[in-house]
Formats: sequence, structure tokens, C-alpha cells
Amino acid sequence: MKFVLAVLLAAIATAGALSSLPTSAQESPTVTDEQIAHIKNACPAIIATLSQIHANDAPVYVNRNQAYFSISDKLIARLNGRLAVNRFDTSTFVRISNEYAAALTQFRAAYKRYDDSMSDLVRMNCVRQPVGFYDKVAETRELRAGVQQSIKKLHGKIDEYRSAVGTFQEQNESRLKGVTND
Amino acid sequence: MTEDATAVTEHKKHWFQARIVLFVGSSIVIALVLVSVSMALYASSGAAQLDLSRPGFQAVQSQVERSSTFKSFPASGKVDNETIEQFKALYEEQVKQVTANDAFNPSVLDEHTLGIGAPAATE
Repeated sequence: MKFVLAVLLAAIATAGALSSLPTSAQESPTVTDEQIAHIKNACPAIIATLSQIHANDAPVYVNRNQAYFSISDKLIARLNGRLAVNRFDTSTFVRISNEYAAALTQFRAAYKRYDDSMSDLVRMNCVRQPVGFYDKVAETRELRAGVQQSIKKLHGKIDEYRSAVGTFQEQNESRLKGVTND
Repeated sequence: MTEDATAVTEHKKHWFQARIVLFVGSSIVIALVLVSVSMALYASSGAAQLDLSRPGFQAVQSQVERSSTFKSFPASGKVDNETIEQFKALYEEQVKQVTANDAFNPSVLDEHTLGIGAPAATE
């Protein structure tokens, strides 16, 4: 028992030591003295630009989040339900809907991470911490790219659902033509 | 007898004051705890990102679109070719509003866009 505990503690300590190893050489590109001087000089203008980007992003996110949810709630879920009531096989549609919902959750989480980072960035004192500010810009850019990736994934699911509807229509052509009201 | 009565009255008075202080103090503590919990939920749930009444975001509130403009597909009824065609048309109409333009392009935070990039090497 003591041995197991000792091994566990050693593993935790090793993991902790490895995670705390400096990785700045790989993560943050070298900032030249000229760049540092420029960041210090143009700090208010850079912060103003970032604040404007941050403010402009907010309604885009609110509108997108609302639209993506409505696509799921007011279109996809309704067709799925209607097909199920009419006793069609909806397994493909349900799978895509679930993946779409997961992608939407991922989009919200990615935006939250980006927004938190952007909020920290616009509050930073780039005159006092120009290197930290430069690194934070790089980190926030990566997080913004993550938001864009999550949007691409959502659009992929939107396309997949559209294709599934087309395939469904082809596969059930005769039944869709000769349908009687339920 | 009178001294005893006075002592009892004083004791009751002190006890009453202590209870008031305790009541007010505990009310403040409970309020602080509840506010902390609600602020933590507000920040962690993603509600903060949807809240455009935050400082610095009031100017862009008007850019938010009303959700009532989104057309819904009827949830009940028969399913035939016409129904599917109607769905496809509605789907295309609604979806193109979000897929038409590129959002959250990371290039806006590019170091050269922000003017903090390394200057081009001169020979």
C-alpha cells in the first residue's frame, strides 16, 4: 500500500515537474528591442484597436450563437421530429444533430476562452509589460483561430445535414411521392 | 432587588444589541456569499459573453439581431417531396446568413496588422 502511494506521489511530482518546465523558447517568438520600444510608444493606440475588435466581436458572437441555436432548434430538430412521427428512419439525422450540438458547445467554449483572454489583454499595461503583452497577443490570436475552427466545424455539420436531407430524399423517393396524410 | 432588576435589564439590552449586530453581520456575510456564487456562475456559464450591457459594449448593442426574424419549420404534418423541398429552401435561406461571411479571422490580431511586428530586414 505504501509502495503504491509512493509510486503515485512520484508520478504526480514528475508530471508536475515536467509541466512546469520552461517552454517559452518554443512558445514565444523573440521580441526585438525595436518591437518592445514600438509597443511601449504605441501602447494606447494598440489597446484602443484591441478594445474596438473586442467590442465588435461581441455582437457577432451573440448573433452567431443565436443563429446556430435556431438552426438546430427551429429547423433540424423540427424536421427530425416530423420524420420520426411519420415513421422514417432518422438515425443519420439524429447522429448529425448530436454532433452539431457538440460542435455548438465547442464554439461557445472556444469563444469564452477567447473572450476571457481578450478581456485580460485590453486590461494589460503594455508599457510596463511589453513582452508579456506581445505573448498575450499571440495567445489570444491562437484562441481566435480556435473560434474560427469551431465555426468551420459547425458549418461542416450544416453541410452534412444538407447532404443527408438530399440522400434521404433520393432513397425515399417513391414513398415521398405516394404519401398519404397521417 | 432594584439592582438585580437593573442588571437583568442591562443584560437583556446587551443581548438584544448583540443579536442585532449578529443578525446584520450574518445578513451581510450571506449576501456576500450569494453575490460571489452568482458572479462565479455568471462568469463560468458563458452568460457574460452574451451580456452586452457590460462596460464598453453598450455602443454595439444595436448590432444584435432579433431572434424573431428566424423562420421556423413546422414541427408537425405529413412528409412528402414538397415538404422536403420546403425544408431545403428554408434551410438554405437561414443558413446562408451565417455561412456567407468569414467570422473571427485570426489575422486581425496579426502582429503586423496591430503594428507590433518585427520590421522587415533591410540590406
